[in-house]
Amino acid sequence: MSLEIVSSGLRSGSAERWLNYLRRRAKSPEFIIALLLVVALSFLVLVPVFNLTSRTLSWTESDARISPDAVPGRFTLNHWQRLLFGRLFMRMLWEPLSHTLVTGGIAAGIALLLGSMLAWLVTRTNLPGRGWLRSVLYLPFIIPAFALAIAWETLFKSPLAGGRPGVFQSLFGVVPPTWLSYGPVPIIITMIVHFYPFAFILVSGALVAVDAQLEEGARLLGASNWMIIRKIIFPMITPALLSAFVLTFGRTVGTFAIPYFLGGPVRYDTLSTMIFRNLSMGLDVNGYILAIILILLTSLVLYLNSRLLGGSSRRFEIIGGKGFKTNITSLGQWRWPIFLLVGAFTLIAVVLPIGLLAYQSLMLVDGCWELDNLTLHYWLGRVDPDLAFGSPGLFRNAVVLGGAWNSIRLAVLGSFICAMLGVLIGYFVVRNSRSWISRFLDQVSFLPFLFPAIAFGAMYLSMFAVQRGPIPALYGTFTLLVLVSVIHRLPYSTRTGASAVAQIGQELEETAELQGASWLKRFYHIVLPLARSGVVSGMMLTFIGIMRELAAIILLYTPSTRVLMTVAYRFAEEDIPQLSNALILLVTVITILGQLVVWRLGQGRLARLQERKL
Amino acid sequence: MGVSNIPIKIEGLTKRFGKVMAVDRIDLVIQQGEFLVLLGPSGCGKTTLLRCIAGLEEPDEGKIVIGENTVFFAERGIAVPPGERQVGMVFQSYALWPHMTAYENIAFGLKLKKMAREKIPGRVAQVLRDLGMEGLEDRYPFELSGGQQQRVALARLLATKPPVFLMDEPLSNLDARLRLDMRSELKRLHHDSGATTVYVTHDQTEALTMATRVAVMNEGRIQQVGAPSEIYQKPMKLFVAEFIGMPRINLLSAQPVSTDGGLWFQVDDFRLPAAWLPSQEEVILAIRPEDISILLHSEPDTVEFKVYGVLPAGPEVFVHVVRGDVRLVVRETHQLELAMDQPIWVRIDPSAINLYNKASGQLMSNEGGDKG
Repeated sequence: MSLEIVSSGLRSGSAERWLNYLRRRAKSPEFIIALLLVVALSFLVLVPVFNLTSRTLSWTESDARISPDAVPGRFTLNHWQRLLFGRLFMRMLWEPLSHTLVTGGIAAGIALLLGSMLAWLVTRTNLPGRGWLRSVLYLPFIIPAFALAIAWETLFKSPLAGGRPGVFQSLFGVVPPTWLSYGPVPIIITMIVHFYPFAFILVSGALVAVDAQLEEGARLLGASNWMIIRKIIFPMITPALLSAFVLTFGRTVGTFAIPYFLGGPVRYDTLSTMIFRNLSMGLDVNGYILAIILILLTSLVLYLNSRLLGGSSRRFEIIGGKGFKTNITSLGQWRWPIFLLVGAFTLIAVVLPIGLLAYQSLMLVDGCWELDNLTLHYWLGRVDPDLAFGSPGLFRNAVVLGGAWNSIRLAVLGSFICAMLGVLIGYFVVRNSRSWISRFLDQVSFLPFLFPAIAFGAMYLSMFAVQRGPIPALYGTFTLLVLVSVIHRLPYSTRTGASAVAQIGQELEETAELQGASWLKRFYHIVLPLARSGVVSGMMLTFIGIMRELAAIILLYTPSTRVLMTVAYRFAEEDIPQLSNALILLVTVITILGQLVVWRLGQGRLARLQERKL
Repeated sequence: MGVSNIPIKIEGLTKRFGKVMAVDRIDLVIQQGEFLVLLGPSGCGKTTLLRCIAGLEEPDEGKIVIGENTVFFAERGIAVPPGERQVGMVFQSYALWPHMTAYENIAFGLKLKKMAREKIPGRVAQVLRDLGMEGLEDRYPFELSGGQQQRVALARLLATKPPVFLMDEPLSNLDARLRLDMRSELKRLHHDSGATTVYVTHDQTEALTMATRVAVMNEGRIQQVGAPSEIYQKPMKLFVAEFIGMPRINLLSAQPVSTDGGLWFQVDDFRLPAAWLPSQEEVILAIRPEDISILLHSEPDTVEFKVYGVLPAGPEVFVHVVRGDVRLVVRETHQLELAMDQPIWVRIDPSAINLYNKASGQLMSNEGGDKG
């Protein structure tokens, strides 16, 4: 749609021109679908945000019972004032906020350090096994954060949280110090383990992109390795390093599971857990305000990032395997020692958590770490009133199986819808990128990226909890979970879809258009087949993401719509560690398998793309 | 083949991209059955104009009539979709659908035109045969060479027998030798089909060899339209004179001088004989390299220059000569033994000089005043 045509039509005052133009537009399926997408996104993205904000700015019915001034529905700054200036400030806002910043900042910093060192080792040295190490080192990011938190708890469980002794206590006979079991220290350490792969990928991408010729020039002039690193490589990747820090920080700020499980027992809250607490206690408006603050924080972080990279940074690049030739530094005699170190680290970060979860899931009596305590009951056993409050083992457990069915339904439906939306929106963003529709779709489909998962849950809860005008009450329905999952992942699927469509030259479509193909025919015969492999990979990633999502749906699920992760969460709350661990382990394995499939697909796709090049 | 062909009329066509005028009030009539080449440098608007005719771009002002159909009329808001304009197009990149075989690429349009299912294989086989591509129906584009891909693209164009062919630099991606071969193939195709063809290129040799008429464009405007020989001999504008011709035309700034001995042009520190003098005080002389001769000795009406460089090129030789600030390129067809810095004498036929108004760049004629 050209604004110029519209305005020149207005200028020349020709009604006929205008009318014919509108008539053409109204008949074009392309335009209609684009418009429908605009409406859908407005409703599913913009309206919830608006709704969230306006709820914090108006009186609720419950306020009316407390305060005589309160007129339900009327505008007020009261809620904000109470939180920011009242006695709630410290406990509800300031402490969680400062905890978020402190844990996030430190974790991001160390994760960056760790990730950078590993990135350098893997991309620019002759470390043995660096091919497969690259994949293995990525795994802690795929393992649900929940799993890592539980694994830590298993190691260092303290009587504070009740339950039976953890590994530390069993091995050493003493209770681990509280600061080691719960609170900022374990939170930070677990976050480091979960997020260093993120920094690792970002920094690897930057290192690989450094043109070898720049270094070769320096080498020819006689510069030493160390000087090259200091004077050439480091300055070149500094923006990328800062950006990696900022993006990692942005992620840590939004985590929920880790601070919930490792901070909860000592009342150490972050913004995300505080949101959850408020909403579980029915202090909705407080929760919403905190969600807004969290969103603002994330937005600020991303804004900083875009300033660092000078615009277009949100199209941050995860490794694309560009295959530049890079110089390899030899590690000399340190080759194998470093390999062992990295191997040991991999064992601790990857194998240990999974192993612990697996082992504990096999323990008959929790807390007894002897080998004769092992059983498969919690996986396969029937009902035993003495064990797990009578819950049968995983694979016989109706609750678990129901959750599994829901998880699969949700992941399949959600990833499919998300991929379709992604390719459609991506299409309109890429083609005709100057139109207002395209820009609107681009910006709005990106917006959910700014909302940490828990804030997402809060937003959708606020919007769909009760019927309001034409908006139905979707709370407790499967539909709501699908909606949330789809919108939550939309930024990624839109980027994937857009890049898949961008690969398709516009002329391929134009030729079809000239032959007389309608838009629908073109989309079906030309665009979809050619975009397919890119979209399928994206769909797999969405599938994995939805399978292991907890924070976004923890506020929205009900017994009938529970999924695997929420079932595991309930088992953890009810203190049946074997079952919750087994379940987490199951989800982790599914997730890792899924990621392997994606990697395989990616290789296949690359090969086929080479073939297709004209 | 005798396909019906139709004329194209373009009136007042304008297309803006933001602030840039890609096509600036273009009026053009393309006769039925002719081979019209849109020629010009990058960014002159030739491709945009072609795409407007095809319906792939929507102009801001103007009118386009293809045959009897008004396919675009800004004032009344008429814009017929590309599929209904009866045009076929070949792109520079061929735009073959990579996930379809050659057969499927060609059959796609036939299916859309609702050709009877049994007739399609026959038609596809026929166009492939016409282009010398039998047996390649089941190949995918990546299995074909550049030249073969181009022929499939042409086959796809021919299959539905459109009365108008649009071609956007279809030969640019081919290597030099193939390009030359394909030029005569395309001319043949045009002759056999009789379709009205609009062809875009930036290569002036291509334009001159293939066109029935050439439209030279610059900055969104048509500078001149005419037969190739006309464009070459009598370029109406300085831009056209400079753009056409390989190597480029020699341009000299001169003052007309009238003496008892005759009519002259004063250039720098020498004089050239003139056939007629314009009224302006300063003009631009345009002389083609082949209209200059090199003599090894001084003679009347010649000017001394020095050899700056000699570039032998098979059947001809290009000699760059210099005198002070003035540099000329000369094309000679007989063998000359010349050394660097050797003094030589240059003769220019006065009737071969084209005069251009220095301010407007228009060609001047001796009927008094500038040529329109």
